[in-house]
Amino acid sequence: MSHAPLASACAAVLRRDLTLAWRRRGDIVMPVLYALIVITLFPFALGPEDALLQRIAGGAVLVTMLLAMLLALDAMFRSDIEDGSLEQLMLSPQPLALMLGMKILAHWITTALPLIVIAPLLAGMLHLPAAVMPVLVYALLLSTPLLSLMGAVLVALTAGTRRSGMLLALMLLPLCVPVVIFAAGAVAAAQQGLPWLAPIAWLGAALVMALVLAPLACAAALRIALDA
Amino acid sequence: MANWIPLWVHKLSSPPNFYRFAGIVRPWALALALISGAIALYGGLVLAPADYQQGDAYRIIFIHVPCAWMGLFIYGLMAVASFISLVWRIKLAEVVAMESAPIGAAFTFITLVTGSLWGKPMWGTWWTWDARLTSELVLLFLYLGVIGLYHSFEDRRQGARAAAFLAIIGIINVPIVHFSVNWWNTLHQGSTVRILGPSKISGDMLWPLLTMMAATKFYYIASLFGRVRTDLLSMESGKEWVKQIAEREGKA
Repeated sequence: MSHAPLASACAAVLRRDLTLAWRRRGDIVMPVLYALIVITLFPFALGPEDALLQRIAGGAVLVTMLLAMLLALDAMFRSDIEDGSLEQLMLSPQPLALMLGMKILAHWITTALPLIVIAPLLAGMLHLPAAVMPVLVYALLLSTPLLSLMGAVLVALTAGTRRSGMLLALMLLPLCVPVVIFAAGAVAAAQQGLPWLAPIAWLGAALVMALVLAPLACAAALRIALDA
Repeated sequence: MANWIPLWVHKLSSPPNFYRFAGIVRPWALALALISGAIALYGGLVLAPADYQQGDAYRIIFIHVPCAWMGLFIYGLMAVASFISLVWRIKLAEVVAMESAPIGAAFTFITLVTGSLWGKPMWGTWWTWDARLTSELVLLFLYLGVIGLYHSFEDRRQGARAAAFLAIIGIINVPIVHFSVNWWNTLHQGSTVRILGPSKISGDMLWPLLTMMAATKFYYIASLFGRVRTDLLSMESGKEWVKQIAEREGKA
């Protein structure tokens, strides 16, 4: 019996997840709405002073993105575990890490990409200068896949538990601190007119490492959490 | 290479043998911890001279620094035990890793509390977002994440394996905590005790510090062995050796 070629298996997983997400478009909008609402809370909480909002804009947008992604992460494998398709994936002859990598990619496209699209709008609401916007977008383009990858490992670990939402925050927070520091550092440096390439390069290096290691770790974590 | 060392280790890793071994070692470790702790406190609080800059306030380091070392040391040990438990599926390694986590979290918590108690008179603030302080707080969160994940599974061995995996992932933070003082030049002072080369600390202050470090190590052993013994009993509660112990204790 011959197996499906690797590329077409990857494409099938990706297409399936994207189709499922598209059928439930309302779920894609949720993180975006959430981020929008959190950002509007800042001027209410801190006062509408332009200079203050401008100073916190980069960090506030990054933290909001992180929280929105955290909420969406919880659902990454849930429906697949409930309907048994994840177990089919684990039994399939193709390497599990690669299949999970495709699932993570699909998840990133459906949750992080819409967030990145509205990020300049959110930052604009807090008066971030237009010149800094590209740096913010670069930082998000590199840091959100990192969060997706690390989050996927942790979600996989909690896959066998009932209550995982709060626990996920507790586990992800320590690991994402460096990501937030470098991403916010790049935006802050750009805002002050300093060179901002170094923190972006660090994020890129971390992303490359996570791209290689995280799917493998994710597969190992799922095996631990599900096979018992 | 003598053959008895691997043999001894191998035998020790069986729960009844370790239960007996830990029962013998534990009172000694506890006694050593109390004695060396008392000596270190006397040496640190009474014998050591006051610091030329900080006066008597620096004496908190005799608690603060050994606890900080222990926070990192236990994390490393927990990660090693986790690795062993994942690779070789040794039950004892799982128990050691999971029972180390609360002790390490407690040491980290003490480090944070004593640090902020010292920070108020010295730096004029309870807390600052300094690199070392923040990374130490992150270390506490890592411990809490491991403990939380362990307890969120219904099957304890499955929980232990998942939490062990998390502990290994979290190890990337340990070098960040350790080197944070050197990498980011912020409020927290650099390290003064060196393993290689002479320490930048007076001998009168150094020996109580090292004695206290030994005391915390002994305390860790005593505490860990006590916890592991209890855990082994409850994990193996259906086994013959636990029944024998229960019957013996019941008669006595």
